[in-house]
Parts: sequence; structure tokens; C-alpha cells
Amino acid sequence: MDATAAVRTGCPFTDKRSAVERAENAPTEMCSPVSETIGAGEMPVANWINVAELREDPYPTYARLRNESPVAWVPAIKKVLIASFAGCLFAEQHPEIFSNNVSGAHMTRAFGGQPMIRQDGADHSAERNVINQTLRPKKIKEVWEARFIANTQTYLDALEDGGPGADLNDVFAAPLAAKNLIDLLGLSCVAPADVARWSADFMAGAGNVLDDQDIWLRCQRSREELGSALDEAFARLRKNPDDSIISLLIHSGMPEESVRANVTLTISGGVSEPQHIMTSSVSLLTQHPEFLSWAQEEPTRFEQVFQETLRLQSPIAMITRETTTDTEVDGFRIPGGSQIGLLLASANRDVLAIENPDEFDPTHEARRHLGFGSGDHLCAGKWAAEAAVGRIAVPALYERFPTLRTDPAHPGTWNGWVFRGFSSLPVVW
Amino acid sequence: MISATFNHPEGTTDTLQIDPGVSLMKAAVLNGIGNIIGECGGQAMCATCHVLVQPEYRDQLPPLGEDEDEMLDCAATERTEGSRLGCQLKAGEHFSAIEVDLPEAQ
Ligand code: FES
Repeated sequence: MDATAAVRTGCPFTDKRSAVERAENAPTEMCSPVSETIGAGEMPVANWINVAELREDPYPTYARLRNESPVAWVPAIKKVLIASFAGCLFAEQHPEIFSNNVSGAHMTRAFGGQPMIRQDGADHSAERNVINQTLRPKKIKEVWEARFIANTQTYLDALEDGGPGADLNDVFAAPLAAKNLIDLLGLSCVAPADVARWSADFMAGAGNVLDDQDIWLRCQRSREELGSALDEAFARLRKNPDDSIISLLIHSGMPEESVRANVTLTISGGVSEPQHIMTSSVSLLTQHPEFLSWAQEEPTRFEQVFQETLRLQSPIAMITRETTTDTEVDGFRIPGGSQIGLLLASANRDVLAIENPDEFDPTHEARRHLGFGSGDHLCAGKWAAEAAVGRIAVPALYERFPTLRTDPAHPGTWNGWVFRGFSSLPVVW
Repeated sequence: MISATFNHPEGTTDTLQIDPGVSLMKAAVLNGIGNIIGECGGQAMCATCHVLVQPEYRDQLPPLGEDEDEMLDCAATERTEGSRLGCQLKAGEHFSAIEVDLPEAQ
């Protein structure tokens, strides 16, 4: 019986930034045609994996990993990758073995302090509980939905002004995701474009394993800009507390420096994922008009579209952990102290867990997925995202533009693999 | 060790002996009891650890917490009088023995 599993809380949206650039900048090794097995029960070495191919289309690589070696040492990424649903779930259910306390130094430097994600046990869970208060379904409904709806209308107007051919990512998805986060945090007088830029800078900083000075400078500048916005927010919210995350944090007695680090963490993690689900939903519904009509008949069905999109095109493909002790996953031994990549995007297409996993089919009830992570690390923004994107933004897009579809003349572009989504998606209607 | 019995909607039953201090959810998930998910790891954030406590075991339990109450409204199977979140019920602390029915869906 696992009586002492430390309660570690955290969000897969936010604690894995350190993995991004490290993984994406890792040298790509020469491809070799087969996996080398280094002994029974030992991990195979998947030295055929190529980061350029992952960026192009990661899914064939994930499929081969699941088939050949669901647990493998991958030199190109310098991690043990776990590709199966069962393996990823096991890791998520055993946070005492698969610790999230990895590569903290870069994140700490990038964020200017120690965010809650880098703490363990009771302290950590106490901090996470503070923000959970405003992120449960009731508060989302009572407080935040009206904001999400108003913000959605603002950017629907912007899209309409852009006219057919506008880039859904630039004009709608990115600024809407940033504005919703600005409201949730309790910032004011801050432009969504600035928040989106800060988010990108902090992510780059958290993953700045090559110590690129330019990245540190960008981080520094963004931290200063955010710092001024926070000075204003602290003064305002100390006098007039509200339901925003910053208000809850400062009134919980958390030192200002920690609040700053935690807000930085939230900004680095909370923008691109909802943004990517919005664009991916439109792309998938364009490819599957039958499911668009199905959802339009009964708009609550867009919630299922949201879940299925998150499963099939998981915006966070990999989260990182470090083993605290020797362990065994899917019959393979993993030594303690190993850097681990849990391939959530692969787990979410594992045929052993999901029927016809490569097909987009939102009509299936309850296709369980790990898109939000699972266990102590389950995303804190889960309910907010389901409301803001699944219940509000995507159905509103089709209500305003019933014939909305991706522009056949200008296909969108994808970016990234650890964090994957459209970097542009022109649409017409 | 504290005894916990889980009645599955399919008609089968599992019984576990749980260490004091461990939640009903954690015990079930780590021992592969189906029909309980525990997606949020016990933060009262997901309602996928919904259990229906048999009447004779209800009185010993602490009153519903505010978060627990709110989350039960979001459970996939409609709540009933015996509905609790398994993650909020700790062996020894909250029950000395327990029997629960697991809902159709989490
Ligand atoms: S495990 Fe999530 S509410 Fe109990």
C-alpha cells in the first residue's frame, strides 16, 4: 500500500517548459534502422528517433515506439521516453517515483523565483489549493464564464473585421487565450499581445539549457514588464480583493516574490494550450464536416469535440519527470535518477487503451485521455479551459460563422512537437 | 489495516485492506480496482473518484466538505444520498470499515 505518496500538485501546462528547448535543441543523431536492445528487461535504445521528423509529424514516431519499445532510451532527446497509455498512467499515479522536481535551475532563473511547481508535499499542495478555489466548476460558472463570453465576442468581431482569409490563430485564438488568462489572473491594463510575448519568453528561458544570453535578456525584459503590471495589481487587489488568482495568492499570505514566480509560471503555461485547441478544433471539424453538423445540432456536443481534439492533437505532447528510484514500467527496468519523458500525445493514441485511436470521433462517450495529465499533476486550468474553449469559444465561432472552415488555398502551419499546435491557420466562411 | 469493499456495477466485488491515512481513492487506484479513476490525485478537482457509501457506513464519516459537495454536482453519474468523493475519505481517520458501490460512470 502506498501510504506515503507525496502530494505534489502541478500542471502539465506549466512544469515542463524546461523540456521544450532542451528537447527541441537536442542534437539530432544519425538515423539507424532498428532499435538496439541492450538486454532482456533492459531498456531498448531508440536511436532512430529524429527530432526533425518529430517536428514535421510526430505520430509515426510515436506509433513505432509503442509497437517496438514503449519504454526506450532516446539519445536524440536524452531521455527515457514512455509511449504507452498504461506506462504514462503508471508514472502519473506514482509521483513519489516519477518526481516533477527536474531541471529547476533554469526555470527558477527564468521566473525570478521558485514557483509552486518546484515544491513538494504539503507546502506545495497548500499553494495549489489556493488557486484551485477559483478554478472549480462553480466559480468558473458564476464568475468567469461571463468574462470568457465577452472576450470571445471581442475577438469574433476582430475576426469578422479581418474577413475571410484571416489567420484564426493570430486574430482570434492567441489573443482570446491571452485575454482570458489576463482576467483569470486579475491583471488589468495589459495587452493580450504582450502577455503572449511574455509567455513565449518565459518558456524559452525555462528551457534555456544552452545559456543563450539573448534569451536571458528577453526573459529579464518580460519579467520587468510583468513586474510593473503586478505592482499595479498588488496595490489594487490588496484594497479590493476579488476572485482572481493574484488576489487569492496575495491574500493567502504568500510572499510577494513567490506570487510573482507563480504568476510567471501561469503565464508561461496558460496561453498556448487553449489557443492550440481552438485552432485544432477548427482544422479537425473542417476535415470532418459530418461531426460539425452533429455538433451544430446540439451545441453542448462541442464539449465532446474539445475532449476529442485534446486527445487526438494533444498540445502538450511530452511532460518530463525524474525517477527517484529504480522502477519497472511495461516490463522494462528504469534506473533511479533517469530523465523521463512521458509522451502524453502517444498515450492518447494507444490502441490498447482507446478504440480506433487515430480517428477523430467526438461521438464516442468518454474516450479517456491524458491530455491534461493525471493525478497530482492534473492541470489546474482544466475546468477553465473546458468552459472557455469547449463550451464558449468554439461553439461561438460556428454560431457567428456557420460555414467557417480552413482556407483550402492556404493550409495552416504547425510548430513544435513537445508543445505542438498551429502557428497559423487561415480560415474562410 | 482497514477493510474496504467495492461493489462494481457489473456485479463483482473487491475487498482491500488499507493502511491508515490512505484515501479510499488512492487505495483503489493503486490496487487496480476498476470503475474509479481519481484523475486529480485527490485534490477534489475532478469528481472521478465518486463512490456511493452503503447506508450503515455513513454515520462515521465527516460531513461533506464544501469543495466535495460542489464537485459531486459534476460527477458523471448523478449523485445520491450516499455519494462521496473517495479521495476525501481516509482509512482510520474517517472510517474504520467501509463498503461502497461504484457508479456506472466516473
Ligand atoms: S480524485 Fe479528483 S476529486 Fe477525488
